[in-house]
Amino acid sequence: MAEIDVVEPVPRPSAGEPLVRVEEVVKHFPARLGASVRAVDGLSFEVRRGECLGLVGESGCGKSTLGRLVAQLLPLTSGRIWFKDVDLSQLRGEKLRRQRREFQMIFQDPYASLDPRMTVGDIIAEPLDNFRVARGRVRNERVQELLRTVGLNPNFNNRYPHEFSGGQRQRIGIARALAVQPSLIVCDEPISALDVSIQGQIINLLQDLQRQFELTYLFIAHDLAVVRYISHRVMVMYLGKLVEVADSVQIYADPRHPYTAALLSAIPVPDPKVERKRRLVQLQGEIPSPISPPSGCRFHTRCPIARAPGVCSEEEPPLEEKSPGHWSACHFADEVGSVAPWARTASGGA
Amino acid sequence: MTTPLLQVSDLRTRFLTDDGAVQAVNGVSFDLHEGEALGIVGESGCGKSMTALSIMGLVPEPGRVVGGEIRFRGQDLLRMRAEDVREIRGRDIAMIFQDPLSSLNPVLRNGFQIEEAMLAHRDLSRRVSAERAVSLLKKVHVPAPEARAKDYPHQLSGGMRQRTMIAMGLANEPAVLIADEPTTALDVTVQAQILELLRELNRELRTAIIMITHNLGVVAGLCDRVIVMYAGQIVEEGPVDQIFERPQHPYTWALLRSVPRVDALRHERLRSIEGLPPDLIQPPSGCRFHPRCPFRVDRCFGDEPPLDPVGEGHRAACWVRMARAYDEMGAGSLVDVSPGAASGIHAAGEEARG
Repeated sequence: MAEIDVVEPVPRPSAGEPLVRVEEVVKHFPARLGASVRAVDGLSFEVRRGECLGLVGESGCGKSTLGRLVAQLLPLTSGRIWFKDVDLSQLRGEKLRRQRREFQMIFQDPYASLDPRMTVGDIIAEPLDNFRVARGRVRNERVQELLRTVGLNPNFNNRYPHEFSGGQRQRIGIARALAVQPSLIVCDEPISALDVSIQGQIINLLQDLQRQFELTYLFIAHDLAVVRYISHRVMVMYLGKLVEVADSVQIYADPRHPYTAALLSAIPVPDPKVERKRRLVQLQGEIPSPISPPSGCRFHTRCPIARAPGVCSEEEPPLEEKSPGHWSACHFADEVGSVAPWARTASGGA
Repeated sequence: MTTPLLQVSDLRTRFLTDDGAVQAVNGVSFDLHEGEALGIVGESGCGKSMTALSIMGLVPEPGRVVGGEIRFRGQDLLRMRAEDVREIRGRDIAMIFQDPLSSLNPVLRNGFQIEEAMLAHRDLSRRVSAERAVSLLKKVHVPAPEARAKDYPHQLSGGMRQRTMIAMGLANEPAVLIADEPTTALDVTVQAQILELLRELNRELRTAIIMITHNLGVVAGLCDRVIVMYAGQIVEEGPVDQIFERPQHPYTWALLRSVPRVDALRHERLRSIEGLPPDLIQPPSGCRFHPRCPFRVDRCFGDEPPLDPVGEGHRAACWVRMARAYDEMGAGSLVDVSPGAASGIHAAGEEARG
C-alpha cells in the first residue's frame, strides 16, 4: 500500500496496556413467545488508553446497546468487561457504583438528554453530587470551570436548557460527562442531531478535549465518514457481531469485509467528480431480524461475494487478524477488494 | 434556451408570530428546466423546505406566501383559481417528504394510497388503478409488489416506505418531483438505493427533481445545478462542478469544508462555521452572513449584496467573493486552522455560539 500522509489532530496512542477489555460479551433482550433479541451476540475487543475507538453500523445492529454495556448502564447476559485489573461483571451494588464514575456518556439527542427543569449548573454538577466529589463553593467553581472548558460563558450556570441552541446543549452534555474526570467517555452519536456547520464545532471540541485531558473515547455513529475522521481505530458491527476492526486509515484504503466495503461505497462524497466515478456495492434485501439471525455468517443473505449455500451459510467466520492490527470476520476477506474498486483506487484528498 | 418548466421569482413567505414576522423565504428567484435535477442546500431554518412548501401551496399556519410569482409552464400558481391550482399540484408537481411513516396513512393499504393519488386527478376504474399501483411499486423496485400493495405502511421497512412514497409521487407522471430530505431518516446503504432510484427516474422518465437537503454529498451525486440558501435567501447558485470546485460565497466555501469526507486520506482539522444562524425576525443588516463571515469588509455591514453573475450560469451574493478572499485575504492558509481555534475552546469567557 502506498504511504499515506497522516496528520492527526490527536496523536495516536501507542499500543499499550488496554484500559477496557471486553470479552465474549452477550446481551439478549426478552421478546415475545420466549424468543430473545440478540442485540449483542458474543464479541470481544479492547479500548486502549488515550485512543478514540469508533463503532459504526446501521440502525438495529446493536451498537448503542454495546455502548451502554461498556458504560456500565446495562447488565450483561454473559461475558466479562475488564477495567484495568477489575472484572466489572462480577461487581454489584456500591462497588459497581463507585466504578461507574470512570465511565460517562454523551448522548445523541441534546434536547432529551438534559432535564428541562434543572439549571445548567445543576445538570453539570449532578455527577459531582452523585459521587460526592464536591460541595458548596468548590462545586460551583468546578461548574464554572467546566462551562469555560467547553466554550460556554461560565455565568450561564443559572440558566435552563431551553435557553440554549442544539450545539450549546451538546456542549452542556459534554461538560457533564467531564465533571468527574472519567477514564472513558462513550459518545453515542453526539453530532447526528446537529446542523452541518455545528457538527464541525463539536467534533473539533471533542478532539481538543481529548488532547487536553488525555481522554479515551468510544465513539458510536452510523456515519463512517465522521467516525473515520475522529477515530484512531474503527470497529464495524452487523447484527450483534463485530465484522471488522482496523486502523481508521487502513479500513478505508483496504476494507477486508464486504459489509464495510458496502458501507463505504454508500456514503455520498461532496465532490461531483468523485460521485460520477463511484460504484455502489449493492446489498441484496434488508437487515434480517436479530431474533433469528441467519446461519453461518450473518451477512451471507446480503453479501455480494458469499458462497451460499456453502461455507458462508454453514460456518460462522471468526474475527481473525488478517494483517497486523487488521481484523475481519469473513471467509473470503482477500476477495473484498474485487467488489470495492472505488475504495481501493481512491486517490482522495482533503 | 427553452422556457423554464418552473420559474420562481422574488418569492416571499412570512410567518406572523407574537414576536414579529419571521421572514422564512425572502426574495428567492430561480428557474427549473425540463428534466433537470436541482439541489437546494442549507441548514435548518434557511428556508429551503419553506420554498418547496410555498411551491406546493402547503405552507403551514401561521405562514403565508406574501409576494412573488411561481410560474409553472408560464402560469402563475399564486394567481390561479384554487381548483385549477389543485389540478397542477399533485399531478404535475408532486412532493415526497423526509418521514414516510408520518406521510402515509396508517389505516389504509399501501396500494390504495397510491391509487388515491391517481383517482384525485383522473377517472379510472378501480381495476385499472389497482394494476397501475402495482406496476408503480414495481417501477420503484419494491420486491413482491402485489403482496406489498396489500400491506399496511407499518409492515414495510423505512426504505420500502420511502419507495412507496415515491411511487405515490410518480402516480400521475409529474413533470416535477420535489424531494424534501427523502433520505435523512434512512441508513446509508438504503439512502444509496433511494438516490440510485431518483437518478434512474430523472434519467429515464425525464422527471425534473428538486432535491432539498443539508447533505452536500447527496447533491454532488444527483444534481446538475445547486442553490445554496442562508437565512431565507439564495447566497449562491450554479452548476455543481463550479460550486463544489470554485465556490464564490464564503458560506458555501465554509460549508464544504465543515464536513468530514470519507475519501479524505489526510486528517485535516475541520473548518467549522462560528456562531449561529441569525434570527429571521430581525435579520442582520447588510449581508445576512456578515456576523459569521471570516472575510467581511466594511461594506458587508450595511449594504445587502445582490445575487450577481460570477461565471457561466453561476451567481453569488457577496461583496468580496472567494477569488478575492484567496488572493488578498489568505483564505488558503485558513484551511488548516490552528488547534482550538475553531472549536470555541480558546474563546475563554466568551460564549461559543454553537
